[in-house]
Amino acid sequence: MIEFREVSFVHQNGVKALDGVSLRIESGETVAVVGENGAGKTTLVKQVTGLLKPTSGSVLVDGEDTKSTSTAKLSRKVGVAFQNPDHQLFSESVEEEMAFALRNFGFAPAVVQQRVAWGLELFGLEEYRKSSPLVLSGGEKKRLTLACILAWDPDVVILDEPTVGQDSIQKEKLVGTIGMLRSAGKTVVVVSHDIEFLWPVQPRVVVMKSGRVVGDGPARTLMLERGLLETARVVQPQLVELYQGLKRRPEEPFVDPLEARRWVEEAAGR
Amino acid sequence: MMWLSGGFVFRRGTSAYHKLDPRVKLLISALMFVTTLLVRTIYELAAVLAFFLVVAAIATVLKRVARTMVFTLMFSAFIFVVNVVFTRNVETSVLYAVRFVAIVVSTSLFFITTSPDELEQVMKTFRLPRDVVFAFVTAVRFIPVMMLDTIQIMDAQKSRGLELDKGNIFRRVRNMIPVLIPLVVNSVVRSGELAEAMESRAYGAVPKPTSLVEYHTSARDKAVAVAAVVAFALGAYSFYFILPTQLL
Amino acid sequence: MRGGDMADILEIDGLSFRYPDSPKRAVEDFQLTVPEGEIVVLAGPSGCGKSTLLRAVNGLIPHMYGGDYSGDVKVGGASVKESGMRDLAQRVGFLFQNPENQIFMFTVERDVAFGLENLGVSRGDMRERVDEAMRLLGITDLALRAPHELSDGQKQRVALAGVLAMRPKLVILDEPTSLLDPKTAAELVGLVARLRKELGTTFVVVEHRLDLLVKVADRLVVMSEGRKVLEGTPSEVLFGDKAEGYGVAVPAVTRVQKMLVRDGFIPRGGLLTPEELAVAAGGQGP
Repeated sequence: MIEFREVSFVHQNGVKALDGVSLRIESGETVAVVGENGAGKTTLVKQVTGLLKPTSGSVLVDGEDTKSTSTAKLSRKVGVAFQNPDHQLFSESVEEEMAFALRNFGFAPAVVQQRVAWGLELFGLEEYRKSSPLVLSGGEKKRLTLACILAWDPDVVILDEPTVGQDSIQKEKLVGTIGMLRSAGKTVVVVSHDIEFLWPVQPRVVVMKSGRVVGDGPARTLMLERGLLETARVVQPQLVELYQGLKRRPEEPFVDPLEARRWVEEAAGR
Repeated sequence: MMWLSGGFVFRRGTSAYHKLDPRVKLLISALMFVTTLLVRTIYELAAVLAFFLVVAAIATVLKRVARTMVFTLMFSAFIFVVNVVFTRNVETSVLYAVRFVAIVVSTSLFFITTSPDELEQVMKTFRLPRDVVFAFVTAVRFIPVMMLDTIQIMDAQKSRGLELDKGNIFRRVRNMIPVLIPLVVNSVVRSGELAEAMESRAYGAVPKPTSLVEYHTSARDKAVAVAAVVAFALGAYSFYFILPTQLL
Repeated sequence: MRGGDMADILEIDGLSFRYPDSPKRAVEDFQLTVPEGEIVVLAGPSGCGKSTLLRAVNGLIPHMYGGDYSGDVKVGGASVKESGMRDLAQRVGFLFQNPENQIFMFTVERDVAFGLENLGVSRGDMRERVDEAMRLLGITDLALRAPHELSDGQKQRVALAGVLAMRPKLVILDEPTSLLDPKTAAELVGLVARLRKELGTTFVVVEHRLDLLVKVADRLVVMSEGRKVLEGTPSEVLFGDKAEGYGVAVPAVTRVQKMLVRDGFIPRGGLLTPEELAVAAGGQGP
């Protein structure tokens, strides 16, 4: 589905942001890309839709090289939700905002209406239909940008730091939405410092450091590798730390505090 | 946009020219500017322009200035065409066109080698009100930030199917709206946040704020200033009195 | 530098405030006293009035934002309503959420000096205070850099240095870690704890990410819809039943600890880190 073949990318100022990255993301996978600020996560994301083209190597989306097509065409298949909604909201009303991308992609007006209505309902934004997107709260803006993307129904959804500035209630809703996307068969890629909130969807985790992929595996096993996480400056989720402290068998999935409390009891041999 | 950034955004340098007192750098660029207005033939203008480029080379910024010059040629071609249409005089039209390039080179030289801090110092010397100077310095400090914002906004909108490189001129201008509105809105929000931060750090508490850094004009600065004025005077004299009689 | 008399550095007494174009009050009858040298964390869901409250403490309300204001706020004994921003800026420092939009100058050291320049401090004193502030924040080697060359974590430190250069007794931090990655955020929190220890400065921090702060905070105050709804030590509040209901992000390990304590499995005690809990429950630790 998305393939990186020995991709390197050097910025205009000489900084090497990606160094020989090879990666395959299959259809329907849920992937979390983690690493400290500056590790190359956002650069990686920008390569997928051709916003940045590799200095060497190639990126293929559904077999098509990103160098031979436009960002607009790639975006039809790959929807990217950037970190800052204030970098894209501009329309007179929320419904116009949602219609923007749909019109750019050539959807018929009747379909546009339909999709806008669907998106507004799904994300609980119906009451703001005629309001200016600029007066929404931070959380509402983030929901709106996500609604805009889902309206054109891309096969892949990439979220760049979706939890920044969000409180715990909003994070729970977000992971619920991600779960829903997964059930709908979509490929979901989440770039995030915060791996903990993604636990319910048990993603595949790709760890990046200094432009390279230094770790790649299922969350439940990768998060146990303290050495790796330490070098990549990624914080281990608390329950994983607890789990390791109790020396559990690694195949067990860990999901929530109730589960964790059971392990503690078992560990003490009760 | 690249033209603007290449030609007018300050970047740190270590040449002796960079280290000159900014007021001297301003003087040099101002004299250059006036010189371009005084010359009356192409040959003189070419010599003057060559001289500017030599100065740029001394200041180690020749590559950037030369690149700016190349981009400016587009506008100067436009000036040439307009002049030829209205005056039917090819020689003066070329003169005006090249003069435009020379003017851009002289001003570009100043801005490329002068940091915003130095610009501030110059403005203070001219006794501009503190609020004006502060607004200017802050605006310049945010230029790189706004350039980055613009790229991020364009990325976000391209990712929603916006094609910025297609269509005729009208289409392209219309397509800039989804980029300009977020940029403007963010600037307004930024101003509000800056205002809060300013108040919180006692802006305007005393009528005459003090300054952490002090600027001194060295003997070398004075010498260069004098040399520049002398060179200008000699140039003006020869352009106005010596050369025309020789050419005629 | 720790003050000998532990007076209350902040007294909020029955504060209520309504913005001019809003039908509802943003802050409702708020009461809080903070003794000098404490680190207080203010939490609550988005829109609960935290930002408004902070601005009422440093004086932006009422001096920059007018509205319906009743009650009183005193910082170091002086009434915020009656003092000018010049005086307040020296008593209360404010670190805003976005590191970018609070740095004005083209070089780091000049930005750190910004507040002092505004106050008309003499060059000699200014130099000393700027150097001290940069040293405290570990940014001395960044003195001549331009802001756009810095990382977000560095920018945050520069802004904080600028605030500390004014030597306020109380510093307010508005979601300082929201744009930082977890490691950098942890470093900032450690820095705050160290500054409190070295300078005796009181800190009021608005934060969602409680797992970082619970170890260093003395008190946790929860707000909801403009009112104070919970107050106590972090363990008191987080072990209580109401925290989750108010949208407070109770750290995962604390939730486990709560259940185990409730079932009598481990004894009651302070908030434990995952390692500590593992040990307390009979594991050997990693």
